[in-house]
Amino acid sequence: MRLELGARIPRADGLSKVTGTEPYAVDLYPPNPLWAGAKRAGIPHGLIRGIDNARARSLPGVMRILTSADVPGSNRHGIIHQDMPVLADGKVRHGGDAVALVIAESRAALRQALEAIIVQIDPLPIVAGIDDALDPQSPKVHEERPEGNILVHARIERGKVDQAFESCAAEVSEVFVTPVQAHLFLETENGLAFLAEDGTLEIIASTQAPFRDRFEISRALSIPFEKIRVKAPYLGGGFGGKDGATVQCLLALAALAVPLRWIKMVWEREESMLAGYKRHATRLHYRAGALEDGTLYALDCRLFYDTGAYAHLGGEVLELGMEHAAGPYRIPHARVEGWCLYTNNPIAGAMRAFGVCQVAFAIEQVIDLLAEKLHIDPLDFRLRNALRSGDENLSSLPAADSTGMQACLRQIADHPLWTGRENWKSSASAHTRRGVGIASVFNAMGYGKNVRDSAIARIELMTSGEFMVTSAVADMGQGNASTYAQIAGSILHQNEGQVHVTQPDTAHAYPSGSSSAGRTTYTFGNALFQAAHELRNRILNRGGMMLFTEDDRHLELRPGCIRHAPSGRELPLSRLASLMRPEERVSLAHFVAPVVEPKPGTYEGLRIGFPHLLYAYGAHLAAIEVDLLSGAISVLHYVAVTDGGTVLNPTLFEQQIEGGIAQGMGFALLEDLLIRQGIILNPDLSTYLIPTSLDLPTMETSWVNGSDNSGPLGMKGVGEVAMNGPLPAIANAFAHATGRRIFQGPLHAERVFWTLAGSQCDQEEKR
Amino acid sequence: MIQLFFPLSLRELWEIRSRFPQSRLFAGGTDLFVQRRYQTQDESPLIGLERIQELRTTAWEGDTFTVGAATPIRQLLEDDSVQTLLPVLAQGLACMGGPALRNMATIGGNLCTASPAGDSLPPLYVLGADVVLHSEFGRRSLPIKEFILGPGSTSLRCGEILHSIKISRPPPGSVQWYQKVGQRKANAIAIVSLAVLGRSAPDGGFQSIRLAWGSVGPTVITSREAEACLESSPLTMEKVNSAAQTARQAVAPIDDIRASAEYRRMLSGNLVYRLLR
Ligand SMILES: Cc1cc2nc3c(=O)[nH]c(=O)nc-3n(C[C@H](O)[C@H](O)[C@H](O)COP(=O)(O)OP(=O)(O)OC[C@H]3O[C@@H](n4cnc5c(N)ncnc54)[C@H](O)[C@@H]3O)c2cc1C
Repeated sequence: MRLELGARIPRADGLSKVTGTEPYAVDLYPPNPLWAGAKRAGIPHGLIRGIDNARARSLPGVMRILTSADVPGSNRHGIIHQDMPVLADGKVRHGGDAVALVIAESRAALRQALEAIIVQIDPLPIVAGIDDALDPQSPKVHEERPEGNILVHARIERGKVDQAFESCAAEVSEVFVTPVQAHLFLETENGLAFLAEDGTLEIIASTQAPFRDRFEISRALSIPFEKIRVKAPYLGGGFGGKDGATVQCLLALAALAVPLRWIKMVWEREESMLAGYKRHATRLHYRAGALEDGTLYALDCRLFYDTGAYAHLGGEVLELGMEHAAGPYRIPHARVEGWCLYTNNPIAGAMRAFGVCQVAFAIEQVIDLLAEKLHIDPLDFRLRNALRSGDENLSSLPAADSTGMQACLRQIADHPLWTGRENWKSSASAHTRRGVGIASVFNAMGYGKNVRDSAIARIELMTSGEFMVTSAVADMGQGNASTYAQIAGSILHQNEGQVHVTQPDTAHAYPSGSSSAGRTTYTFGNALFQAAHELRNRILNRGGMMLFTEDDRHLELRPGCIRHAPSGRELPLSRLASLMRPEERVSLAHFVAPVVEPKPGTYEGLRIGFPHLLYAYGAHLAAIEVDLLSGAISVLHYVAVTDGGTVLNPTLFEQQIEGGIAQGMGFALLEDLLIRQGIILNPDLSTYLIPTSLDLPTMETSWVNGSDNSGPLGMKGVGEVAMNGPLPAIANAFAHATGRRIFQGPLHAERVFWTLAGSQCDQEEKR
Repeated sequence: MIQLFFPLSLRELWEIRSRFPQSRLFAGGTDLFVQRRYQTQDESPLIGLERIQELRTTAWEGDTFTVGAATPIRQLLEDDSVQTLLPVLAQGLACMGGPALRNMATIGGNLCTASPAGDSLPPLYVLGADVVLHSEFGRRSLPIKEFILGPGSTSLRCGEILHSIKISRPPPGSVQWYQKVGQRKANAIAIVSLAVLGRSAPDGGFQSIRLAWGSVGPTVITSREAEACLESSPLTMEKVNSAAQTARQAVAPIDDIRASAEYRRMLSGNLVYRLLR
């Protein structure tokens, strides 16, 4: 199949993954590896009194037991705030803190040693959640911080909010609560490390950010970063949970202690639940008003994000949530104030839809409520207020040219499930109710202001006549590697199988940003676009010399050859490659994503990643059935219309949207990491449930025509946007079905049941 | 190293057991190996039952269906006679785990685990099944109610195994169904379940009915009083109301991570309303 943009090219990694032959990091077993593992604190807040290793040390097969005293360097890592110890020193701040690191000859010996270590911790009072964190009397999670438990406090403001409410004909004010969600990738956090004689440290890890990992390791352990090499094979899922060091620093520390041996570390599922990063739990206070004529007019909200024990990207998650708090709408008067708070809960960090799916739950129900008060159809109300290009958004900046929110909504407006929603409602059988709900969603793309969002692409014509793209951005399952082959192949006119892609290796690839923020295809793809063009021109020039043509006019690249169309003469690329010098066969180009300047005076306290230029948009619809006897919600149909600019590969595009909906449905109906006093009550897969295939509806995904003009590919990233739809769309459908509203996620059967039974929620609190 | 045996006959099994009295049995292993994951120090030998043919055979003799204890769930679901004559059991088995689990898990394992949430239990209660137990020295048979004693506890004696389950065919035309409420639609432990076996009266009511609830007590809960509420024709809303109310009093649920006791209590009654479909 010819690699063309817009074609349904099958994923290059599809076959190897479904047949299980594609090695993830966890599948790699160098000969005779040692095993490393962390002893976890188990107590959410306390002072370490002592660590008794004596028995563990004497066990057969135990090589080394390291504690914070063995850590060279700052013993602190973190992407923006370096506040997280590699091994806890003095204090533990959540149950998953690593207190000691064991290196053993076998996994069995490792387990025994971890059980045998006795850590004495004097418990401290716990900062259990948002209220505790806001209370100035509470203990400080990070005692050295003058700001106490407030990691970030920020504000976005436009217009005159307080006066604006006076003109409003309808007003809504509600408090929304969203739970902690786990990424639950198939492949848990893991990796391998090897320290060579010359001091080079090699790490192979399941990581979204191989280049940045070097800095984290380097700072924490005082290893010169140029001595660190990180490889990132295909990941068995990431979703943000592998953006930032997980096993990397621990593995590096182990390798320093035992050089010249491969060391392997794999987190158990429960360990991943305990120590891995999570989605922020939030509490969102909303007040919004609209004018008589249906104009959204005023918004005032206060957003609280629980970031757990360490910052990770918590501040940036809050900032992105704030930037999206008004939804994809024009609101002339708005104030959004946000707090990101330290607690003794598991660390919350990056996760698909990074702070946005929480506010989407709030604003989209607020929109429905306002429409209801004004007796306006909820879709008309959205259409009337949805951003168009040029409109000022919440950041008081003009929305970019590719702002397809209105077009997405119009497709939903014509959909039979929307026009026939009252029929759907009346088709409910005994003991059930049916309803249809919608949500408008959007999600910023790229890192945003103040963070260089760049990539360097390399492509080579190999002597075989085939091409090799050196990817620098990990593929965690979203399919960017396949798309790289498609982009390069479309420019070089090659077939499937003639363009290969290597997975990131910092020793061969060129420094590029992480696999995150809907930027993996956009930023690297745009760099690759240029690199491939340059290579194409070089090949044509060299080919023209060989074919003795006057210029490049009638020369064309064909799969495997160059052809002179008028004469029909062909030159195989393998032949041409053998005549070119190595440096000629390689093309490099870089791309830096465009940013916008924030408008002075409209914001305060937002330092990194605010604002953004580009957003993907979507309109979602859920048709649901509520079982009145049990409270269970079944989603029977789901429609998502997306504006992602130009669609490079419809199949991969649909996979991203469907995957986002599935994960969003977990967030909407099931997933809730229950934490009481810092302890996780459901740390395994029999108690923390995600949807199965039977829980997912038929999904209809489509897109609106359009193209983004900020890069030659015309595309925008769509990895995250779909995650934002299910919770609000289902909540709105629930209201359509029953006349009741739920302001706390997830909408699991028992919560729905008590909501319908009246307000017996105190019953539920007993859980 | 853990020793692993796969005897081919009961005689071989008794031999191995007498040599290794500490050994543990497993059929599909879907409960045992999950437990053993947390017991890394347990090195007792294991005996797999899957190659003992008589434990994996099923047969009808007249109106009695005999199921070998180590018969995998999937095998039973693929048996047309189970689907047509014992739909309440088929429905219970069909909502166990997911496809991979049903390939491995056995009905005997489900009984011996004796979880109050076991999905084969309420159907076997309403069907009035008997269990047949064998040991080196003999055999005995018991009604299922006497076999299951409490969570994880059965009346299996030392050296005894569950050999087979005997189920009598309910009269033709019986109403049979099983209903499970879990947190999701597959691979979920029941929050509440209800098995129903009724003999219909001509006017749409029930001449007699058997009800059994799962997950709302230490073992399966039955309630003669709730059944009696429904046993006079015709079936009215009042009768269902009082059966539901009685059921809520009969159950003894607990709070756990999946649901509150109060929710389980309410659901136990609510599921009865499905009789009004
Ligand atoms: C992912 C998952 C999902 C599940 N979902 C469900 C579900 O939806 N519903 C449900 O009811 N259960 C479920 N289970 C539990 C389990 O699968 C069932 O209880 C299953 O029937 C157990 O059968 P087994 O053959 O695998 O038992 P095993 O694990 O082999 O044995 C269980 C116990 O019974 C003993 N035993 C087994 N056979 C005999 C015998 N013949 N004589 C004496 N003792 C014996 C064993 O020694 C052991 O103690 C689930 C389990 C998993 C892992």
